[in-house]
Amino acid sequence: MPQLRRNVLPGFRLSLGYTLFYLSLIVLIPLAALAVKSATLSWNDFYSTVTDPFVVSAYKLSIGASLAAAAINGVFGLIVAWVLVRYPFPGRKIFDAIVDLPFALPTAVAGIAFASVFSSLPIVSDMDNPNRDWYAVTLMLVFVGLPFVIRTVQPVLQDWETETEQAAMSLGAGPVTIFRRVIFPVLFPAWISGVALAFARCVGEYGSVIFVSRNIPGVSQIVPQIIVEKLIEPTDANGVSGVSNATAVGLMLLLMSLSILLVLNFIDAMARRHER
Amino acid sequence: MSVPTAPVATRAAEVRGLPSHLQQPGSKVVRWLLTAIAVLFLSAFIIWPVFQVFRGAFSKGVDAYVRTFYAPPLDPEVLEKMPRRERVVANNEVRQAPKTRDAIAMTATVALIVVPLNTVFGLAAAWAISKFRFRGKTFLISLIDLPFSVSPVVAGLIFVLLMGRVGIFGDWATHIQWPWPWSAYWRGFEGHWWPIGFSNWYEGVIFTPLATALASTFVTFPFVARALLPLMESQGTESEQAAITLGANGKQTFRRVTLPAIKWGLLYGIILCTARAIGEFGAVSVVSGSTDANDTMPLRIEKIWQSYNTQQAFAVASLLASVSIVTLLLKVVIDRKQSEQAVVKKPGAGH
Amino acid sequence: MSIEVKNITKTFGNFTALNDVSLRINQGELVALLGPSGSGKTTLLRIIAGLEVPDDGQGEISFHDENVVGQHVSQRKVGFVFQHYALFKNMTVFENVAFGLRVKPWRQRPARSAIRDRVEHLLKLVQLEGLAKRYPQQLSGGQRQRVALARALAVEPKVLLLDEPFGALDAKVRRELRRWLRHLHDDVGITSVFVTHDQEEALEVADRIAVLNKGKIEQVGTPENVYEHPANAFVLQFLGNVNLFHGRHAETAGSGAGGKTSYVRPHDVEIVAAGVDGAIAAEVEHVAFAGATVTVTLKRLDDGTIMEAELPRQQHLQLGLGRGQKVFVGVKEAHTFDTDYSI
Repeated sequence: MPQLRRNVLPGFRLSLGYTLFYLSLIVLIPLAALAVKSATLSWNDFYSTVTDPFVVSAYKLSIGASLAAAAINGVFGLIVAWVLVRYPFPGRKIFDAIVDLPFALPTAVAGIAFASVFSSLPIVSDMDNPNRDWYAVTLMLVFVGLPFVIRTVQPVLQDWETETEQAAMSLGAGPVTIFRRVIFPVLFPAWISGVALAFARCVGEYGSVIFVSRNIPGVSQIVPQIIVEKLIEPTDANGVSGVSNATAVGLMLLLMSLSILLVLNFIDAMARRHER
Repeated sequence: MSVPTAPVATRAAEVRGLPSHLQQPGSKVVRWLLTAIAVLFLSAFIIWPVFQVFRGAFSKGVDAYVRTFYAPPLDPEVLEKMPRRERVVANNEVRQAPKTRDAIAMTATVALIVVPLNTVFGLAAAWAISKFRFRGKTFLISLIDLPFSVSPVVAGLIFVLLMGRVGIFGDWATHIQWPWPWSAYWRGFEGHWWPIGFSNWYEGVIFTPLATALASTFVTFPFVARALLPLMESQGTESEQAAITLGANGKQTFRRVTLPAIKWGLLYGIILCTARAIGEFGAVSVVSGSTDANDTMPLRIEKIWQSYNTQQAFAVASLLASVSIVTLLLKVVIDRKQSEQAVVKKPGAGH
Repeated sequence: MSIEVKNITKTFGNFTALNDVSLRINQGELVALLGPSGSGKTTLLRIIAGLEVPDDGQGEISFHDENVVGQHVSQRKVGFVFQHYALFKNMTVFENVAFGLRVKPWRQRPARSAIRDRVEHLLKLVQLEGLAKRYPQQLSGGQRQRVALARALAVEPKVLLLDEPFGALDAKVRRELRRWLRHLHDDVGITSVFVTHDQEEALEVADRIAVLNKGKIEQVGTPENVYEHPANAFVLQFLGNVNLFHGRHAETAGSGAGGKTSYVRPHDVEIVAAGVDGAIAAEVEHVAFAGATVTVTLKRLDDGTIMEAELPRQQHLQLGLGRGQKVFVGVKEAHTFDTDYSI
């Protein structure tokens, strides 16, 4: 009896097998290393490391500035997406193309470019202002997360049937009502996932921020900066090695990213349920 | 979750042909205002900084720009006659330029290793996921996306934890020896069964170019797979099945039917992967140590910047910025090609 | 080549696409698999091709008495025409048709000139000479369909399988291609099976029709046979419009006893003079012209049920029917089946 094949196309075992092998080698095993190393830390050391005042201030800056940047992108990204889809103007194609630049431009290049821009911006060139680094980091992160909202909202706007608006108009709704009651509810899932994606990207950002923040412990350090700093530090006063400290903070950062990912999946699932 | 890396085909104004008052809600003032806000926002956050890079790169003239990359030693007599300050600068240029060139070579080497690896993976993953049904597919896609949501610094950290001195495989990984591929030379068969020797050997993984390549591979892992997946899923399997019924074998089907249909998407993924591999900073900075010889271009930029050579930093940055601008241009071209293919895809008129 | 399908079952998860199906297709026949969507007709076709594998265990598919269940598609020598044609977009018409010849192993591959001759011959056969250099996207739907056919025929298959061959075409082209396919089949004489959900198409083109419903074959027979002598109510209803006469009305309609339903095709309903035995009084609700025939919607005066009568145009002109007119209706022929049969 000849062997039965489940699918007529060849290469399933080979391609899936290689996918799983390579995925494990490059992603899963290294990530597991973080989990394994964290498990060797004692709870007290871990707790004292991740609640260290300098580290806590870094959480505040990372999360606060990322939230602020995501919010700014939420507003301006929506406007940009709307204009790019709806209002043809000369040079629109160019502006549409450059939206992706933050994806393509190396972070270090963006960092020094913004450092140079900031030197001529009054609000961030005043080094005596205690909030200066907050502003600088936030503006930097606006750039880093810029494409996400635009690129998630744009396709929805493009597929949008203007007839729906015309129907609303024919029923006597004004432009504000139409936007609030008809358009935004449809855009919302895409918009909020764009905001969340921007936030997730910003929380982990390192390369560009180090060029615009002054890296002052407790004032202007972000979480990734703390990790890099701990990694090269020798053993601390409690006898915990620098690598262990870095691992602890790294785990916190990874957990933050993963929880945003979970929220995103949840939003996705909600949006799909809405479609049915 | 999906990261919007797939090209978005821009559809021309679909609102044409409607009376102006029905075209969109909002008066002309609103339209003008919103357009102005969008243009200003993009100009301030994208055009201005990029402009600053090129302005900074050429702030001391074309000659200084070139000498960032190529600065032959000056004639001692000419040096003698220079003012002290200029002499210091000139000597510095002579010392720095080779390191910058090495960084460019290192970046290219890393990209040359990383991109083919992730391309092969991307093709395999997209083939398995888009052409077959199996359990756990959604979960597998989430795992492939995972590196997108890991901070670059954490990406570097995990390789230190894996192969660093105190790492899980530390004992083994700090002692393995491997040759630098570009240091190969012909040593002949006399006394050897293998005629190629290497003059430059590395020991260990972390703080060597191998770690740089590994961390870059992690960071750019999903790009090709991500660019191919939606494309191949939308294409279905009918063409491949047709080829099989006509007697083609697996290789022929892939090379003659599948590959031509996905070539633009594949190219797009490869370009994005390359751009990111060239520009990665965080992960690479954690694993490469501070040795000049391990520097990639972004790390080189940081070092030059820290030594206050602003113009030189911008000059190196201008190369990377040019690469990303070319990337965007290619994206526009590929988008166009892809939407041409997409028009072709639908058989007959809509039904 | 004859095809014999024996006791084939196919399930997708909880869904049973085919339930113990058997069918014999004779050498040189053109057979239609007819059924509503989800009836399993496409699955059956794909199983014959080898694109789908039947559930494990019993079941047999024989090509000329040779069991091919375990054979891969590529070994079965079938020509398969996909519903959406699945033409290779990156290849010209010529390259599409030549594909099957060019991918043959080196030893079996015909010479370049032989391939060219064969492709040109096929393009002539499907009336596409002169379009060899075009790309699929530059062709109309009907032309693409014919390229797909030529491509399938190029490898000299023993069986030609077509999945909804005219499904994606508009009505006029569809009618032309139907006739053309019939002629082509008569010319080439290859054993062919095609899937369709359009009864008109099946009746017009096929030598024999297999009517499928819910994974079972309801009836197999010549078009005349299945139309005139439907095995059950499903086949009757699927092969054209019918009027239903339930229970006691079935008796008044002529034949049948209680608990049964009579089905009368509109063209078997006639307008008769008053007083004819068994005539039913009705009122004209609506008259619709459809070219050569006229469809009259009638409302029975006794219980208000609606029925349709199809009259030749001439007869309608003689009767001069109009809305609200009272008439008497007779039944020329009725089919009666058990009422509990559900569709």
